[in-house]
Amino acid sequence: MSLLEARGITKRFPGVIALDAVDLRFERGEVHCIVGENGAGKSTLVKVLTGIYRPDEGDLHHDGEAPPAIGYVPQELNLFDHMTVAENMFLPLENGALFRRKALEEAARPFLDDLKMTCAPEDLVRDISVAEKQLLQIARALASRRSDILILDEPTASLTATEIERLFAIVEELQARGTAIVFITHRLDEVMRLHSVVSVLRNGCVVGNSDGEEVSEAWIVSKMTGKEMDLSTLYRPRTPRGAPVFRVEGLSGDGFEEISFDLHAGEVLGFAGLVGAGRSEVLQTLFGMRTPTAGQAWFDGEPWVFNKPARAISKGVMYLSEERKAHGIFPHMSVRQNVGAGLLRDVARLGVVSNAREAEATAKIIGDYRVKTASSETKIMNLSGGNQQKVLIGRGLMANPRVMIFDEPTRGIDVNAKDEIYRLMQQVAEDQQIAVVLISSEIEELLKCSNRVLSLYDGRINAEIAAEELSEERLLSSIINTGGASDATAANREDAHV
Amino acid sequence: MSDGLVNMTQRRGFNLKGGGQIVGVLIAFVVICVVASLVAPQFLTSYNMTIISRDLAFIGIVAIAQGLLLLLGDIDVSIGAIAGLCGIVCTKLLVDAQLDPALAISAGLAVGAIAGAVNGAIITMFNLNSLVVTIGMLSVYSGLNLWITKGRTIVGLPKEVTVLGGGTLMGVPVPVYIMAGVFLVILFLTTKTVYGRRLYAVGNSREAAKIIGIHEQRVRITAYAVAGALAGLAGMLLCFRLVSAQASMGQSWLLPSIAAPVIGGIATTGGIGTIWGALLGAAIIAVIGNVIVLGGVDVYLQQVVTGAIVVIAVALDAITRKMGRG
Repeated sequence: MSLLEARGITKRFPGVIALDAVDLRFERGEVHCIVGENGAGKSTLVKVLTGIYRPDEGDLHHDGEAPPAIGYVPQELNLFDHMTVAENMFLPLENGALFRRKALEEAARPFLDDLKMTCAPEDLVRDISVAEKQLLQIARALASRRSDILILDEPTASLTATEIERLFAIVEELQARGTAIVFITHRLDEVMRLHSVVSVLRNGCVVGNSDGEEVSEAWIVSKMTGKEMDLSTLYRPRTPRGAPVFRVEGLSGDGFEEISFDLHAGEVLGFAGLVGAGRSEVLQTLFGMRTPTAGQAWFDGEPWVFNKPARAISKGVMYLSEERKAHGIFPHMSVRQNVGAGLLRDVARLGVVSNAREAEATAKIIGDYRVKTASSETKIMNLSGGNQQKVLIGRGLMANPRVMIFDEPTRGIDVNAKDEIYRLMQQVAEDQQIAVVLISSEIEELLKCSNRVLSLYDGRINAEIAAEELSEERLLSSIINTGGASDATAANREDAHV
Repeated sequence: MSDGLVNMTQRRGFNLKGGGQIVGVLIAFVVICVVASLVAPQFLTSYNMTIISRDLAFIGIVAIAQGLLLLLGDIDVSIGAIAGLCGIVCTKLLVDAQLDPALAISAGLAVGAIAGAVNGAIITMFNLNSLVVTIGMLSVYSGLNLWITKGRTIVGLPKEVTVLGGGTLMGVPVPVYIMAGVFLVILFLTTKTVYGRRLYAVGNSREAAKIIGIHEQRVRITAYAVAGALAGLAGMLLCFRLVSAQASMGQSWLLPSIAAPVIGGIATTGGIGTIWGALLGAAIIAVIGNVIVLGGVDVYLQQVVTGAIVVIAVALDAITRKMGRG
């Protein structure tokens, strides 16, 4: 019997199977690495293991009397900034007792020493470095109860090389003490360094599970990429691309460095990368939502002024946010008013909005893009995600843009609506010669829609892949930065020089 | 065919839901009036109606001003003090400088607009919490009022202006006409103009508004300025009504200015509700205030009762909204 065994775990959400009959065993003293693309089911698995989700089918078994204690260190920092390190470690405190600061700080010390942390128990969390915060989350998981299983979700994301080494030393020590470690990561070098067992998730299934010799970066990539991706229908624009609209050189800012690229009329340029690789940041900077620290850009050959979104829009650059609910729609306004808000120049005369013209524009959008809504007077929040997105896209296109930036346009949208949005991107590039930027975390989406993909890793361009070289494996390697990609990048650069 | 039918019924359903809020407030208003007329026989007399409508004129204007800001998710708790400031400045100009009434009133409106715009500029430029900033500015403006008046009451307003506060036209107090004018203008502004669309858009989502090129800062500062000017108008009318100006004027307007729009369905989080709600909420507060007096509630308890009723009304609104959702 294993310390913890998942048998046939299935978890469904409306429209998707997040986990599909997953069998996994977690043993004492093992580092179990779990890899998989975004949306492969890793977070759902963690939530089932930690009891946040109840599986629809299957169950968890354990060999001991009591279920094993599970410590979980989430990917995002989850600390109280204005409280001390010691308080953060032991919250929520035990009931009844008086709060004794000194005792708490004494109790915290051994954990900090264990993790070779330099901060003191009485330091405020807001004053310690990001790396120390990350380590503090681990210390907290260890302190709250002696964890038999410790789940680390991308723990190295904000650590430097030395800190990562420190973390690995701790992981190995815990392993030696018999703790089972579940290590979730996108970085294959970390997997190769730490793993006792590797499990690869894809579309909610365990497609690879091995503790043997065959485990290599190539083996993992081959397991992560599947054959059942349906690439029979492509949505890449087929007309030849036009003149360059944007030329960006050496652009740097918060989260990205030295980004250079051209964007042409009539093409779909994909931006690939892990969450946090800097994709949205680059385009948001160009759009005027963020300030660059270095670099230049040209629009139609004229120097581009990095200013406010309002200026970018006046030049015909549109941006559709990945946060559709928070940064896209006006939830309590009707579909018509949402359309009007983005087209006020067109639907108003002398500052007075013409409801009739607003309604006309809305009817055109509803008709052209087949938006399903009870009426144009329905509050937009009552539409499905796909239909909200179509309204926003339609509104953007009505302003006759030159550039459309789609940031994760199909997030949270059902399969059929996805195809419609792909077709739309293709159409506007082909028919209206609009330069389309597609930022996406979905490899399939990038493969289907892009003429060209720029792959970012750690805020830098890792590879530029042309349509004829686009393959799942090639793209994935560049996104997670395995050896093959850097070679490819080098080759690509040479191509560019020729 | 069947599609059209579905559309029709759903549209009708939506309209009921969308207007439901206001209909609910209207029903509450009617019920309160009926109860009032049963409890206090004097309620329906024309003399009493004049009193209520004059109260409503003042509360209505400040409620509309605050309603504009609440629609943005903003708030200005200093508008009572701004009202006082404008009243005092205008009175001073009329009494001490013997200025032409039209000029003096324009000056008062300008003071209100500037005071409001200052609040808005501080809040939006440094991205501060509007409640905290305007609590500070409340102290600034009421301090100015004390300093200008030196704590004394200014008297001696000319007849041309006192008629604006105390006079009646066809049996209706003049301030009621002015309030009605303000209401119509602001209703038009919020529902028919480009500015109104931007106001609702910013109130719904500042980020989404920025992404489509709306200068949210300008929209918000403008609203603060308009609200300040409206408060100033109410403050000056109060001076004309009282035939004098003093430092404490407008202080009692804080509670009704916020409570009225909220009772009328304007959410403090922004983007939800209409100016109709601010007006109806003000009417409810005016009637309740009147009934408390007519009902013979101990003078010293009146504040307790008004406050409690407002809190209950707000809670009831939240509960019915929750039930409507679930």
